[in-house]
Amino acid sequence: MEAAVNEPGLPVEIGRIDKELGRLWESSDDTKTRASLLNLVIYSEEPGAIDCNTELISAIASQHAFRAILILANPGAATSDARAWISAHCHLAGKGGRQICSEQITFRLDGESAASLPNIVFSHLDSDLPLCFWSQADFREPLDEQLWSWVDRLIFDSAMWKHPASQFALTKKILSLTDGGTILCDLNWTRLHRWRLALANIFDHSAALACLPGITRIRIECAPGKRVKALLLLGWLSARLGWSLQHLLSENFFLDKAGKHIAFEILETAGPGISLVELSGENFRFSLRRPENGEFFHISMQSRGIPDCTMTIGAGHERVGDTLLAELSRGGRHPLYAEALDAITPLIPG
Amino acid sequence: MLNSAIQINPLREGLGGRATPEPCTLVIFGATGDLTHRKLVPALYNLAADGALPPAMGVVGFARRDKTDEIFRSELEEAARKYSRQSINDELWKSFASSICYHRSGFDDLAGYESLAKRLDELDAARGTRGNRLFYLAAAPDQFEVILENLRKSGLNRGANGGWSRVIVEKPFGTDLPSARQLNTLVEGAFPEADTYRIDHYLGKETAQNIMVLRFANALFEAMWNARYIDHIQITASEPLGVEGRAGYYDKSGALRDMVQNHLLQLLCLTAMEPPAGLDADAIRDEKVKVLRSLRPIEGSDVSKYVIRGQYGAGAINGKRVAAYRDEANVDPESMTETFVALQVNVDNWRWAGVPFFVRVGKRLPKGGTEIAVHFKSVPPVLFKATGEAVDDNVLVIRIQPDEGVSLRMSAKMPGSSLRIEPVKMDFHYGTSFGKATPEAYERLLLDAMSGDPTLFARRDEVEEAWKFVDAIREAWIANPEDLTFYSSGSWGPAEADELIKRHGTTWRRL
Repeated sequence: MEAAVNEPGLPVEIGRIDKELGRLWESSDDTKTRASLLNLVIYSEEPGAIDCNTELISAIASQHAFRAILILANPGAATSDARAWISAHCHLAGKGGRQICSEQITFRLDGESAASLPNIVFSHLDSDLPLCFWSQADFREPLDEQLWSWVDRLIFDSAMWKHPASQFALTKKILSLTDGGTILCDLNWTRLHRWRLALANIFDHSAALACLPGITRIRIECAPGKRVKALLLLGWLSARLGWSLQHLLSENFFLDKAGKHIAFEILETAGPGISLVELSGENFRFSLRRPENGEFFHISMQSRGIPDCTMTIGAGHERVGDTLLAELSRGGRHPLYAEALDAITPLIPG
Repeated sequence: MLNSAIQINPLREGLGGRATPEPCTLVIFGATGDLTHRKLVPALYNLAADGALPPAMGVVGFARRDKTDEIFRSELEEAARKYSRQSINDELWKSFASSICYHRSGFDDLAGYESLAKRLDELDAARGTRGNRLFYLAAAPDQFEVILENLRKSGLNRGANGGWSRVIVEKPFGTDLPSARQLNTLVEGAFPEADTYRIDHYLGKETAQNIMVLRFANALFEAMWNARYIDHIQITASEPLGVEGRAGYYDKSGALRDMVQNHLLQLLCLTAMEPPAGLDADAIRDEKVKVLRSLRPIEGSDVSKYVIRGQYGAGAINGKRVAAYRDEANVDPESMTETFVALQVNVDNWRWAGVPFFVRVGKRLPKGGTEIAVHFKSVPPVLFKATGEAVDDNVLVIRIQPDEGVSLRMSAKMPGSSLRIEPVKMDFHYGTSFGKATPEAYERLLLDAMSGDPTLFARRDEVEEAWKFVDAIREAWIANPEDLTFYSSGSWGPAEADELIKRHGTTWRRL
């Protein structure tokens, strides 16, 4: 069985996918092992998405076994058409030369066929495994209640949204459809994990910890278009420290529980994402800087209670594959995400 | 300062599933030794690379050789480059290494401990390590007494400025029950039990930790985890290696004391224990101690019946000739030390009545591996008897190392018009399913000790109960030295070990 050039696998009739997958595995030799921990559905409406998503799946399949279901929809196409392909991503594992393989089913849904998304998903899931649904397209109403209620983890990337405020509102609506059962996984939030970890590291230091209540100013530098990410980080800090957002005379600021004023600014500067977070107060300044393309955070601590101190800690990668892998590997719920989002909702553009 | 009322870092919440270590200084006694170079420093570097160490961290190497901080760091860097599971990044190493310093002193020199105390105070002030100290006894066991005594005399056994002070003790925890009690009393004289961490690195392995999850998070297994459904259990730790560079220690110790008293009895406890009341350290350790107390003692004439000891002779491993144990360097040519032990252990409690645990450990065996194999009882020989088909028993295998995972053997009908039954294996591999490299046991254990979580460390009563069981066997061996058997290197041990398990109507598993 060989795939045609430029096709994402072996073309199959949609009604025969299970049988063809079975044949695909039967035809492979005994050194191949099929592995799956979850169903990963990736839905996109961007032309070219199949190629880059196939590449992405291939890259992460070696570290996380799943059944991938790629769906490229073009609801605006004049003619209705539905096509499917199957393929496998294999990598060598261990010393025995055994190949571990994850399978991929790819769909292209044009015109009216795009409306069959729920059926396509339901009928091709690997049974009993969790369903992670990554929507690379904007959420739209009306929401399909049955589809979303089946989703265990809803993955999206708020960094890609043109209208974040309305999209966040729709994710909350999806959440309400499942009584909060679905876990919202914003890759924009996942990318912040290392930032949050590094900031928490700073305040493990006894002298720094004592400074937390004295913070009066926060400065975040981020790349143009990455404002939502910076806001989520700000929201996390404010929620964790019990600050409430205030708006007075066209100025936004936080008040802590004692009524102290905390100013903040988000500056857009050249760079790939967030490049600087600086927290300061009367006698201290702590900063966390990540140079462009840098693998490390550089922490600087200046405080009257301790000698000036600099440290370097790993910052990980923010490539989409690394971020998705981090999200799939970490699992669990994200209660702090909801808190962070609630804390800065009025500041979200669009 | 602004407000010292905050004691818990609110930014930590939700960042991971485990407690984050508090800022502290780790002092390693025996800092120039093998353990420090091969295990401890690579583990610390990997923790730093994963962002798991707090920035406020100091590492002090304590040893008698004369060297500067720079030389010490450079030696550790060389070792880390060789033994770390992650490659060393220059920038990160530089940052990590800045927290390392060397303190020269003899273990018996009290003044060296007093100057260490001053140095630690300075580090607290400079790095914010809050007066928290973790002492790691990585020196030779005969040095433990003097180190503990001097820690106590210098006041280092108490944390400074409200901080804590803990000690990690490497195995062996004594050489028998009296010496273990003596060591425990010594430790107790300096550190309370709550601050004492006896390391058994087997417990830090992911798969050892998974035993409890497998048993208690899967109704399928726990419901059948008893004498009604289980025929017997085999616990094996085999290795093709000989004594290598450890002959001096090993010849005095032997397999029973080196492996059975600690690692294998710990695995047996995790396999046999009742569900704990909670996941806190004492709840789990209480259950493990109950298992140890339920072990039927093997004493006197029973020892030759239930315990087989062997020593490897010359033979071949992987096509290469290897020498007999007695011909190894630094081994007594008339040594009676066992390099192989096989024993039948009975756990006299309600759950395990009549279910033998067969435990074997050996050097110079054909393959390396540690596993627990749970052999379920046979189905009644009724339905398939007439067809003449033999039905193999179900076997659940928990592989501790290498290729960590779990497999289940069951019977299936072979496709075709006739009824043929064949065993098939369902196999779960950590590496296949979870991909990412699992942390080394020492990484987990160091983090736990820094975080004050003793769950994966042995408690005093666990150690002493295990010695009590093992000592009775050793006493019989001393009284009757003739029962040492010999086996060829590269074989699966003495024939007597096969006879031992054959009495139960079964055979050792083929690894």
